[in-house]
Amino acid sequence: MKRNIIVITFLLIVLVAQGAFAADKKMAKLPFVYTDWKHYTVKDGLPNDHIFAVKAYGDKIWIGTEGGLACLDKKTGKIQTWTEADGLPWRVVSSIDINPKTGEIWLGLFGGGLARFSGGRFDHFHQMNSGLVNDVVYGVAIENDNVWVATTAGASRYNTITGEWSIYTEKNSPMEEIWNYSVTVSKEKVYLGVWGSGVLEFDIATEKWKDYLDPDGEMEIDLYRDDGIVHVITTGVSYVEDVLWITTYFGMSRYDGRHWRGLYADETGLPSDFGNAVKGRSKNEAWFGTDWGVGVCADFATDTWVTYTMLPETHKGQVIVSRNNKILEVFDTPKGIPHNNVLWVEFDDKDVWIGTSKGLVLAKGTGYYEGLKLREVHEPKKGEIKTYAPGK
Amino acid sequence: MKRYIILFLAIALTNFSCEVAQKKTKGIKVDSEAVELMEKIDAAGAYDVPDIELRTDEKYASMAKDVEPYRHVKPYKKYFLRQIEYTGSGRGIPEPENLDTVKIGFIGPIEPTVSVATGGSASHEIKMGVKMLQGCKLAIEHANAKGGYLKRNIPFELAIHNDNGLWGASGNEIIDMVYKDNCWAILGTIDGANSHIAIRVALKAEITMMNSGNTDPTFVETNIPWVFRCMSDDRQQTYLLADYMYKKLGLKRVGVIRSSSRYGRFGVREILDISRRFGSPVLIEMAYDMGLDDFSLHLDRLKRENLDAVVHWGNADDGARILNQMREMGMNQPFFACDRGLSDEFVKIAGKNAEGVVCAYPWNPTSESKRLKEFRKAFKERFNEEAETFAAHAYDGMNMLIWATQTAGLNKAKIRDIMAFRTKPWEGVTGDIILSAVMDDIGEVYLAKREKGKWNYYSRQELNIPDELPSETSEK
Repeated sequence: MKRNIIVITFLLIVLVAQGAFAADKKMAKLPFVYTDWKHYTVKDGLPNDHIFAVKAYGDKIWIGTEGGLACLDKKTGKIQTWTEADGLPWRVVSSIDINPKTGEIWLGLFGGGLARFSGGRFDHFHQMNSGLVNDVVYGVAIENDNVWVATTAGASRYNTITGEWSIYTEKNSPMEEIWNYSVTVSKEKVYLGVWGSGVLEFDIATEKWKDYLDPDGEMEIDLYRDDGIVHVITTGVSYVEDVLWITTYFGMSRYDGRHWRGLYADETGLPSDFGNAVKGRSKNEAWFGTDWGVGVCADFATDTWVTYTMLPETHKGQVIVSRNNKILEVFDTPKGIPHNNVLWVEFDDKDVWIGTSKGLVLAKGTGYYEGLKLREVHEPKKGEIKTYAPGK
Repeated sequence: MKRYIILFLAIALTNFSCEVAQKKTKGIKVDSEAVELMEKIDAAGAYDVPDIELRTDEKYASMAKDVEPYRHVKPYKKYFLRQIEYTGSGRGIPEPENLDTVKIGFIGPIEPTVSVATGGSASHEIKMGVKMLQGCKLAIEHANAKGGYLKRNIPFELAIHNDNGLWGASGNEIIDMVYKDNCWAILGTIDGANSHIAIRVALKAEITMMNSGNTDPTFVETNIPWVFRCMSDDRQQTYLLADYMYKKLGLKRVGVIRSSSRYGRFGVREILDISRRFGSPVLIEMAYDMGLDDFSLHLDRLKRENLDAVVHWGNADDGARILNQMREMGMNQPFFACDRGLSDEFVKIAGKNAEGVVCAYPWNPTSESKRLKEFRKAFKERFNEEAETFAAHAYDGMNMLIWATQTAGLNKAKIRDIMAFRTKPWEGVTGDIILSAVMDDIGEVYLAKREKGKWNYYSRQELNIPDELPSETSEK
């Protein structure tokens, strides 16, 4: 009996203590935050640390660098590489896409044209042997049986069944300028991010074009924030769930087919207005790679953001969660992005791969959830953490 | 005695600071600002940016209030007011060993393309490109005569590439310069579209591009931290030209004739915008195909508008033929033109009609500066020709790149940094080159008037332009 009283008393004490502790915990609806990061560099077998492109496909992660192509086998952790000595037509791999029907890997080569990697063989398409409009390739995307290529002097489309090439420039499309930077596809449309010409939409069925330009027509201002794309110097486009996410060097945009929304660093969790790349995960979530880190619009509906940066002095990561430009959480992580100049973002189910100026990183998404969830707020002690936001 | 001690201490201190500067730069003469900047640039390494204040401009391109777009509304955002940073890892790349030369790239239209062989025409910009190349060659030769790249006592070498302007070929040339030639910086080019393609490649490949021959205002309106221009653009030149036309002369009915090229299309944008903002919209804009002999179709339309003045934006030869035909048709309006109009070729073709023509111009080639005189003399000795605007600006641009390479060493990011963070104007043969937050030359521009058979150059101050428009023309 005495023993039972002791046990019950102990349990009561524990419960009361837990309750008191829980009462101290601040809970709020917050987004998932990535805290588990794994870096890959030349030390791990990459051919170069300057990562221009990443493509996740099954168990493989294909990596385009300034010094060659790499493939990371997620099962074994081994990295295989290809350089010019191995048949890669040109060492600078700026974009990658994979044809899901055939498994063929299409590589955009920065200054080297286009390559198809299939069955261990590289086939090389360039200005002199194909309908590729220019060898300086920034983006590549598979649309049905077609390969779309964004080049510095127009876009090309290659039909892999018929072998037919189509070239799109200012002569047959509404390109005010022909400097294509990015290409993405949806079921019905192809979108080109064109430096100096905003975003161009190509209807696959009708082969008609539509352009999205900055309505004020001026380079030095954005007259109204939400009247259209924030600037015509477009660098990235990503289409998901009927929403177009866009990067420029002057801020970002979101377009749902009816409404535009301009996104700027000084009023969101974007670390900078200089957008190198964007990847939309849903109509509500997009990851922006900027020159000062990654800005994740984690829940568009509530304007909730997660900002990931690297602290240059310690090389630790820093996470800032904010809503309506008000900081909700700030904390450091032992690791984060390997460099603040972020050049590529790729989703791999719940995980995220990020290419930077100084290495590749895997953000492990164990426990990832979409949108917001009631969870404990990570509150540092006062004065413990300084926010790092030099690009603001 | 006390005086001597102070004097001694001052001399000792001066010697000491010189020694510090020399130590930091391994014998290369650099000023104390550059030494201080390099310390901070070196300290940044691969993961940080230099702890240096970024250049901030109150107004983009020194734009006056009355020419601002949508000036009655406060824009949501204004761009180009704060210097853009390079945040990549390039500062951490060590200098390579075993170099025989230090290569600097040149890209410009210097040779006819293959299209000539198949019936196409040679680039109309070759004449300018060749001059630009001569300016660059002279700068390299002068640097090599002084010991070349001083840290290693090896010569500078110009990696020369032709800008053939076909199918975005300038992009391929920049790739070759970066990845095959291993250049440390690049100068070029002239054509607006090709220049844009080049700087997009430079951004991704991380190499400094100096431009000395493209006056397209949008060239720097791209936020690329690797781009510099050592020549005032059409925006700067048009501000002065428009103020002179509308504020000083009180013109109201202006027509534009321009080449059907990117140069013409973008060049007149500012004159169109400013005219509208000044309450005197351009009444007619006619575009022509370059190289025409007969402009009567265009001029008939201009004549019908009963214009006060005609503005031409295009090449010198076309401009001269247009002017001659205007006068033949009895169109005696004042003739204004862009900087390309001011050339020996224009005067030769236009003859006596050249009298009274006014051109916007990015510098004053009649300046009495010692630097300019020495340059002219050296150029004449080297090429047996007179130096003109493309040669002079290229000489300045190449010297800026050489100075940056000598100061920063063989690291592309640091070469960019030292030019970007330098606060002092560059003392060039074309005058003081003052860089804005977008690293564009916003130094003084001029109007050149053809008077009594010679070009006379007038600054804004010398033109005595009123601040305001004549009251009846100003926009309400």
